[in-house]
Amino acid sequence: MASSWCWNCLSRLRPTPRALLPPSATPRISSAPFHSTAVHYAQPAKKKGNSLTVVKHRQSTSLRRKKKKVADRGGRPPAVGERKALRKRIVLSNPNALEIEGMLELSPATMVDSRLRGTVLGLPVPMIDQLRAVQAFKPKQGWSIFRRPGTVLRRDTIEMGRLFEQISGEGDDAQKGKVVKKIITGMKGSGKTVHLLQAMAMGFLKKWAVITVPDARELVSGDTAYAAIEGSNPLQYVQPSATSALLTRTVDANRELLASLKVSQKHPTLKMLKPSSTLEDLAKLGFNDPAVSWPVFQALWTELTATAPAAGLEKDFKPRPPVLVAVDGLAHWMTESAYRSAEFKPIHAHDLAFVHHFLSLLKEGDSLKNGGLLLYATSASNNPNPKGLSIALDRLAARQAGISASSPEYPQPPAYSDADPRVLDLLQPAEKAVSPLELQTLGGLTRDEARGFMEYFARSGLLREIINEQWVSEKWSLSGGGIIGELEKLGRRVGPTASLSK
Amino acid sequence: MAWHKPTSLTQAMQSLRLTTTLTKPSAQASRTTLNTLRPRTYATEAETIPAAAAPEINFGAFSQKPARIIPSSPSYFSGSPRFIDHVLKLEALQAKHAGLPTVATSEAPRMAWFKLPQFRDYVGEPVPMKKYKSLVKILQRLNRIQPDMVPEEVRKAVGAFLRPGNPYAVENIPRTVDENGRARGKGKRKESTAVVQLVEGEGEVLVNGKSLVDVFKRVHDRESALWALRCTQRLDKYNAWIRVQGGGVTGQAEAITLALGRALLLHEPGLKPVLRKAGAITVDARRVERKKPGHVKARKMPTWVKR
Repeated sequence: MASSWCWNCLSRLRPTPRALLPPSATPRISSAPFHSTAVHYAQPAKKKGNSLTVVKHRQSTSLRRKKKKVADRGGRPPAVGERKALRKRIVLSNPNALEIEGMLELSPATMVDSRLRGTVLGLPVPMIDQLRAVQAFKPKQGWSIFRRPGTVLRRDTIEMGRLFEQISGEGDDAQKGKVVKKIITGMKGSGKTVHLLQAMAMGFLKKWAVITVPDARELVSGDTAYAAIEGSNPLQYVQPSATSALLTRTVDANRELLASLKVSQKHPTLKMLKPSSTLEDLAKLGFNDPAVSWPVFQALWTELTATAPAAGLEKDFKPRPPVLVAVDGLAHWMTESAYRSAEFKPIHAHDLAFVHHFLSLLKEGDSLKNGGLLLYATSASNNPNPKGLSIALDRLAARQAGISASSPEYPQPPAYSDADPRVLDLLQPAEKAVSPLELQTLGGLTRDEARGFMEYFARSGLLREIINEQWVSEKWSLSGGGIIGELEKLGRRVGPTASLSK
Repeated sequence: MAWHKPTSLTQAMQSLRLTTTLTKPSAQASRTTLNTLRPRTYATEAETIPAAAAPEINFGAFSQKPARIIPSSPSYFSGSPRFIDHVLKLEALQAKHAGLPTVATSEAPRMAWFKLPQFRDYVGEPVPMKKYKSLVKILQRLNRIQPDMVPEEVRKAVGAFLRPGNPYAVENIPRTVDENGRARGKGKRKESTAVVQLVEGEGEVLVNGKSLVDVFKRVHDRESALWALRCTQRLDKYNAWIRVQGGGVTGQAEAITLALGRALLLHEPGLKPVLRKAGAITVDARRVERKKPGHVKARKMPTWVKR
């Protein structure tokens, strides 16, 4: 309230009593020429804006929250496949991550170099498309936090690199045409799938034919079309679209190789094939027309495993390269599939022609005539846990440890267990095999390898720690003995523990 | 304010009688004095010889049951006679043997006197804390008598106030690392119990025969399980072999923390302040509070419903 003193003449203005105020109907003088007008006359200043204190009558005064407006998508759910595409999206690069100076690439020289053990080797950039084509990368492997994809060179990797050299016929103890069959197991996060990826990368480096089944489950989950093969006994089933997808993958990844090889065998079922056509042309027949994809795949397989040309086709014959077959999620092939027969009985996975083909490679016999590597990995997180498989794998391990099948320590299925006899028969280790089925169990990294791996995180700018012996061994213990998936979790974690350990 | 009608009547009668005797004329003046001393007799009564004095009362053996039993303890009518008896007895002993040489309190044998509730049970009286403390003081004074000179009666009297199975008599064998280099520690938290065998090694851990990662999916649980080793930076110097059962994941992890801390103390007792500060050997004795009748859970009340 303004003072009732006049500051010019220091006289007291007489305050007018309130009762004498003129009625509000009389026009107000908006501005007084002299301050004879008392302050009381002034109208209260009008509040600006719609303040909350304005009392609303004839309305409910209870609290009303505004509902969040849902972004209008035109009233439609996302398009078909949009969600899945988002879920399966693979990001292989992160421009925010630091570029690592002097990062070596995987190459025929580095992949067998034991001095580089524990370092992270980048995957060669031109190869990444090939690896994408064979679906070597999986969505949640943490590729998207680094500048470029890279993998650790661990002991198992170097051993595998040497194996590639041997089978390709290079190096000291070359064994050209050798077939190595391995089932890869290990704990969750122990790097089985990345081990397959490294194998594929090495296969591409060595110019092998790489054939992969990135997810074994897709073939038995009942998602793709299937049809019985007429006249087969026991009845087998083909999966045309899955086969077509396999051919697409194979062609995309091995285009250069397949384009350089000419058809060398006779395929009476495929009339449209010319003698001069390449294997790429052959495979393309399959993915243009899924109906013939299975015969096309069989033809491609005979071409890849051919050791000599058929009569009359000797002209452009080139020796076939070794083959790498990589299958991920083997356990899904050891149960009954989700498919049903005409009698509405479940079809066993081994009755699917596609699955049967790849599983029969594990058996003793002339599976890969030009040599090669079969890597069949199990999965710890996506595992139907068939009873027969665990016993079969135990038996494999026992046989590798030198326990004979007649010894009492040899694992037996428990009494009255319903272990699948087909599975047990399939993985039964043969007595004196030339190329026996091996069981490779991936464990954790060693401390040195773990250190190299964590340094990779630090150099990428993800980890702000001083990496020393003690810090690494602490993380090594926390990750259950260097389980690489757990190490990755610890490395990318930015949280209270990171600051606690200082 | 008394209506003394009947009494006044008898008084009147008696005065009447008195006057009659007085008014009786007596010939011998010498006998008048005797007559006044002799008990009054009625005229119809025969003269008898004076009665003999009653025998002295033997309080030890009453011929008949007395009307009131005389208490055995003089402190019967105090509130807590048995307690006071004890006190008096001990005080008497203390006074009697006050001259015996004593040792320092620290050198006197350690005695587990009754706890207050036990003592109340023993005497069967609601003894207050303060009074019991004064009794214990006397006991402690008696206990300070030089051990080789303690009289038998004192020893006996003092012995009556000891808890059964004197806990201080049992000597705790301090746990040590065994001949194979294993230290064993136990820990509990919530419903879980963990036993850790700790040996020198390279930081490998097995929980129930499985990897640490298999048992504890959360990194936080793994960290809290190995916290004792981690906060002392000993993670790469020991191997742990752990068995844990009961409860949930968090409880198991924290039971392991405690067990591991205790096992580590056997290897390196000097780490105790560090471990104490880090909370690795602090026992958390909390358990689930029981559900109460009328409540939905331990404390939660059902929703109030009008009518």
